[in-house]
Amino acid sequence: MREPALRVDRLVKRYGDFTAVDGISFDVAEGEFFGLLGPNGAGKTTTINAIVGLARITSGAISLFGYDVEREWRAARRTVGIAPQEYNFDRYLNIRDVLIYQAGYYGLSGPDVARRADELLARFDLTSKAKQVYTRLSGGMKRRLTLARALIHRPRLLILDEPTAGVDVELRLELWSLLRELNGGGTTIILTTHYLEEAEELCDRIAIINAGRIAALEDTHSLVGESSLQDVFLELTRR
Amino acid sequence: MIVNAVGFGALVKREMVRTFSIINQVIWPPVIQTLLYVFVFGLALGSRIKTVQGVSYAQFLIPGLIMMQVIDQTYSESSSSVFQGRFMNSIQELLVAPLSAVEIVLGYVVAGVIRAVFIAALITALGVFFVHIAPANWALYLLTIVLVAILFTALGIVFGLLAEKFDHIAVLTTFFITPLVFVGGVFTSTQFLPPLVRRISQVNPMFHMIGAFRYSYTGTGDAPLGVSLLVVAVLTAAALATALTMTARGYKLRT
Repeated sequence: MREPALRVDRLVKRYGDFTAVDGISFDVAEGEFFGLLGPNGAGKTTTINAIVGLARITSGAISLFGYDVEREWRAARRTVGIAPQEYNFDRYLNIRDVLIYQAGYYGLSGPDVARRADELLARFDLTSKAKQVYTRLSGGMKRRLTLARALIHRPRLLILDEPTAGVDVELRLELWSLLRELNGGGTTIILTTHYLEEAEELCDRIAIINAGRIAALEDTHSLVGESSLQDVFLELTRR
Repeated sequence: MIVNAVGFGALVKREMVRTFSIINQVIWPPVIQTLLYVFVFGLALGSRIKTVQGVSYAQFLIPGLIMMQVIDQTYSESSSSVFQGRFMNSIQELLVAPLSAVEIVLGYVVAGVIRAVFIAALITALGVFFVHIAPANWALYLLTIVLVAILFTALGIVFGLLAEKFDHIAVLTTFFITPLVFVGGVFTSTQFLPPLVRRISQVNPMFHMIGAFRYSYTGTGDAPLGVSLLVVAVLTAAALATALTMTARGYKLRT
């Protein structure tokens, strides 16, 4: 049987007395476009951080394509790329080098990497800014660079934390189109967003997290039903 | 030990790019400061001193100044690089990649050693040009620089992780490194100090670093070379182990 792209098994994450994630379990199948929704402080980012190795797991387990993220962390990390909400680029490198050095950290080097970086810059319409540092880019360009960096090592799973936060409608539609294209090409995508219409538009399946627990986990159509995702979300996350 | 050699190499290279993109902050200040020390203390005031440890005062000064700049620059660069990475979250680029704690720490350390050797080489050249002194024992010269650079790069990582604001990383420099370097024999032989101060100097780690390094120039020193090298080696091992442990545990790196 094929391993899921992501398996989260009874994940618990505590910070002192505070339980940020309280025993959640879910799988994401390879090739799926999966939405992870929830109000602020629900545990979405903590879950993502545990998946990519930025948060230590209190108990439970996470595996990526069958690789345990703690025991087989090197193999697991090679399979995943993350586009965080905030811009955390290296300010000493131009944006082409941001991509090339990121590939280097993943153990990749040589002319293939330079070619890949140029391809991604072209694909995300950043070629004209290749020699600039990221602080010179517009908000939309920084957002596109975040995606390009996450893709530089050809991850099988792409995690997007609020990829369209603060971007205008035009760019949002452009990013949606790019994400659909990536997913169509076989990349599994996990999306967290506060734009519910975005999740409804893009995701095959949605998990709604509230107070560290999964409040709903269904395919998008079944979850929304005759209602709207906003109504369902508010109903499930009302405190 | 190093599995992801490409990733490790990329980090070393990235640190060098950082160094040369802030060259006016990292490379030129130690060179210019050294020149000023040599001219003001070494050549102007030093002309009134006959010899120290068998060489002119200016010649005596050069190895101490090299060691002072190596200590200062390796600590300040690694601590600010790590702290800035944490502050801007750009260090997450390393943390999500398949890089181990050993690879990350050694990446910073190797870059610190290269930076130290480069700065030392520039100041050594100044010493040759202006006061006509060069190391007599190049192996000891390199060994001491490498050990001290590892020690202070590792300490920089430790304090870069501990710090909550930029001000915190200056604590070690202001209250420990600078005072201990100044009383550790950069400007004068401890033989000229009162007996009590001389005895206290024996427990000053900088005294041993400067002393061991000066041996590579003059072949003499205020403490036995073996003792000084042992002190430096033990401190280096301890600092490196601390930096590795903190990074492996994800101290202030992983939540």
